[in-house]
Amino acid sequence: MTTPLIDLDRVSRVYRMGPVEVPALADVSLQIQTGEFVAIVGPSGSGKSTMMNILGCLDRPTHGSYHLAGAPVAELDDDSLARLRSRTIGFVFQSYNLLPRTSALENVATPLLYQGVRRAERLRRARATLERLGLGDRVDHEPTELSGGQQQRVAIARALVTEPALILADEPTGNLDSHAGADVTALLRELHRTGRTVVLITHDIDVAATADRQIHLLDGRLAA
Amino acid sequence: MSALELLRLALSRLRTNRLRAALTMLGVIIGVASVVALVGVGQGTTSRITDDLASLGTNLLTISPTEQNQDGSTSLTLDDVTAIADVPGVAGVAPEVSTSQEVTAFDESTTTTIVGTTSAYADVRAYTVWQGTTLTPVSVERELRVAVLGASVADDLGLSEAAIGSEISIGGIGFTVIGILQPKGGSGFQNPDDQVLVPVAAVQKYFVGGDSVRSIGVSVDPSADMDTTNARITALLRERHDLAATDDDDFEIFDQTQLLAAASSISGTLTLLLGGIASISLVVGGIGIMNIMLVSVRERTREIGIRKAIGARALDILAQFLVEALTLSLLGGLLGVALGLGVSALIAQVAGWSFAFTPTTLIAAVMSSLLVGVVFGVWPARQAARLDPIAALRYE
Repeated sequence: MTTPLIDLDRVSRVYRMGPVEVPALADVSLQIQTGEFVAIVGPSGSGKSTMMNILGCLDRPTHGSYHLAGAPVAELDDDSLARLRSRTIGFVFQSYNLLPRTSALENVATPLLYQGVRRAERLRRARATLERLGLGDRVDHEPTELSGGQQQRVAIARALVTEPALILADEPTGNLDSHAGADVTALLRELHRTGRTVVLITHDIDVAATADRQIHLLDGRLAA
Repeated sequence: MSALELLRLALSRLRTNRLRAALTMLGVIIGVASVVALVGVGQGTTSRITDDLASLGTNLLTISPTEQNQDGSTSLTLDDVTAIADVPGVAGVAPEVSTSQEVTAFDESTTTTIVGTTSAYADVRAYTVWQGTTLTPVSVERELRVAVLGASVADDLGLSEAAIGSEISIGGIGFTVIGILQPKGGSGFQNPDDQVLVPVAAVQKYFVGGDSVRSIGVSVDPSADMDTTNARITALLRERHDLAATDDDDFEIFDQTQLLAAASSISGTLTLLLGGIASISLVVGGIGIMNIMLVSVRERTREIGIRKAIGARALDILAQFLVEALTLSLLGGLLGVALGLGVSALIAQVAGWSFAFTPTTLIAAVMSSLLVGVVFGVWPARQAARLDPIAALRYE
């Protein structure tokens, strides 16, 4: 068996609030293979956001080890984490998080900027990705000129443009109506079908049901 | 990221908020413009003063008597002049006996200084001839009634090249015009073009009497030392005037270069002072940039979080914000130089002040605006770079 893409080994994340220690994740061990479509489900306060930050290399575990594509996340410095995010992860956020006053094309091209790709190549790849997601006629639109569903599609295009090993989607349907939400989950499924690893973090059981495997989080622990 | 990418990012950002960018730059624009204009007027004044003084002769020693007898005669004589000519280091010596007389040509007349001197005068005082000739050795020796007009006098009398050879009257005595001098330009102290040169003997004979001279101009060979030559002339004159070792000099020697040095030192200090005052406004402009950049970092916290999440390193964020500040300050600096030059040209036109701009000044002005950008841009940029991506993403 090959190395799992995501390998959490007894990971804990403890926040310090003054003298009090608040454990947000406790003893979580988890493996996700390349090509899987996994949903991490849990109610609010279950440690989903912390899980998302750890998986997304925005944060480091307090205890335990996390290997992403073989890289020991807990031991890397900020710049190495940035490079790992840039090469390995595509983020999709609940609130889209597109750069304001910036065209869809520039938004999608931005991750490539931080990979040092030249501008002409960046724009070419961004345009191709937008076209693949059916947004070929929206490339020059700024976020405010797009509907919520379209903004989330642009965000998914931005996550995809670097051809990352992992698509990490945090409540991607949370701000969308049911129709646009179904559209986004269908798109994620399709990405999975074309071979991409997708991790979906949500509180919504129905959304989680679109994934092949569900991992339940409760009070910072994995539930059976 | 390359500098070009950073510049493109900064420019596109500034384009989205033009009014704010313009107002932010305004501080630097005004700062740099005032530095450029004030240093320009300082340097202009300096070079005008030094040019004026230099036009009087930079290697010039002027010997004048400390006392004048009741009949107007002095201790300096034409024989002193001849003797000084042999002192090593002396390039030329010209006696000067001046008097103020009314000069008339046809129906125009003016009152001006009549300088009795020799053919050496033009060289010693650094005049060049515009028309005709200056005093010739022959005309001086034969005590001819010939006159060489200063440019202003010729102008006042309405005389030009056609007047060479015509008669004018100086104090009621007829003289032949043999030349007109090239103008030297207005001086702050006295107009060097407002005088008429005639042979020294003519002045002594017709106007002042006696055979003493009022002053002696000595031009020193450029390769010779002014002070050494000065000392030699002092020794020579003391000996010729039979002064005992305990006696004071009965003449004084004035060194033009000392005046020149003093004047340029004063106006140099003035320039520095003006530039210093103006650069305070540049600093204020820099604080304006820092203020706006800090506001901008706060407003764009979420953007910074997004950029970090999708792969920007701290250095990328630092560079982005620093280049934004630098772009503002550099653009402000360039516009400020343009404005400074424009305002100076306007003032020069309207008020007639003289401005001087060296490339060094302009480059220094632009460089200092860049420096302002770095100094006041680094802190906001560091704030941006240090933001925690998780907190920044959650920031509303």
